[in-house]
Amino acid sequence: MKLARYVKFREEKFGGVLFETRSEKVFTLNPTATAVVREIQAGSEARDIPARLKARYKDEGDAIEREAQAFIAELRQKGLVED
Amino acid sequence: MPIPASTPAATGSGDLGAPLYIAWQVTNECNLACLHCIEESGPGKAFPDELDDEQTFAVLEQAMDLEVPYLSFSGGEPMVHRRFFDMAQYVCGRNGQLKVETNGHYLGPENCARLKEIGVKAVQVSLDGATRDTFNRMRVRGNFDTAVQGVKNLHAAGVPIEINYSPTSFNAHEIGTAVDLAFELGAYSFYTGRTMYTGNAVKTWHRMAPSEEQYGAYFETLHRKSEEYRGRMRVHFHEMGLLEELRYRLHHPAALLIVLPNGLVKLINALPFVCGDLRRQTLAEIWGRFQSAWQDPRVARFVDDLATDPRKTATLHQWIYL
Repeated sequence: MKLARYVKFREEKFGGVLFETRSEKVFTLNPTATAVVREIQAGSEARDIPARLKARYKDEGDAIEREAQAFIAELRQKGLVED
Repeated sequence: MPIPASTPAATGSGDLGAPLYIAWQVTNECNLACLHCIEESGPGKAFPDELDDEQTFAVLEQAMDLEVPYLSFSGGEPMVHRRFFDMAQYVCGRNGQLKVETNGHYLGPENCARLKEIGVKAVQVSLDGATRDTFNRMRVRGNFDTAVQGVKNLHAAGVPIEINYSPTSFNAHEIGTAVDLAFELGAYSFYTGRTMYTGNAVKTWHRMAPSEEQYGAYFETLHRKSEEYRGRMRVHFHEMGLLEELRYRLHHPAALLIVLPNGLVKLINALPFVCGDLRRQTLAEIWGRFQSAWQDPRVARFVDDLATDPRKTATLHQWIYL
């Protein structure tokens, strides 16, 4: 999975932004979502990302994992990523 | 986790480390002399102090270093700039996304192939008329057939196409046909809004300005066309009046910088205020004071004055330095 052709990503102090330049839509990202996009850019497999973030942030519950899964689903649904 | 979405124009600039969009008028020179041109561009109208090559590429380098994701080149006519293709190549070569806003008169097959090879995000062509008669009347020295052929050449080369349309009293009725034409020519987006009373339009307003009745029918058609082409071509239009938009902007400055051919940076195209000079300041420095510049009381006063005197937009080219 990678960012779709017309999607640009930039990190910000609050997290990050995704900019879909065809539709000219901007999506503001919180730190978890930003971490997901970083993983996507690094070439991680989508199915591995939630667990990787859970481990990285030493999350003993499943909040980060669920948040990351939901975010990846939304990225797909909005066409912001492609396989 | 729903992702908050907006547009670059609606995205507040306050928390961002850099602009999301730079709209750069790369030259004021133009081969045409359009009745409505807000920049008063035309043959021989290049500013005497336009950025030189070194300054131009220094600004591009800064924009790319700051990871500004999206730039547009307009003018005047950007394709008459002597380094146009080098500039486009630089932006796209550094992974920036570039839109070129052109009158479509330099879109021969060879140039379209170059634009495709460079990888521009889109080329926006102004087609202010669905017929030869209205287009040629509006775009003095312009030729409808040349512009349409230019769009066809873009399509043949595989360059994404946007069409822009400025309404007047004599072309507003053609809007439906113009949207259809844009789709037939292969455009993926169509943009329009209200024509602004500034630049050349100040001199031609009496024979060019659409009436409110015409605007009513215009936007009604656009609503219909927007539905008709849903999922096939985006029909995007700004129905909001200038005053409403500026009042909104006072509190929500867009994450957008307008760069003039001489390196001056404006708060927004529809105001005369200049918040920086790229010949003397870096892009980062100008961005750093962009928010506070919007808070200057002269800006709010100008917007307030527009409510009682809408023709104040005639003075947009008398720059006020903040």
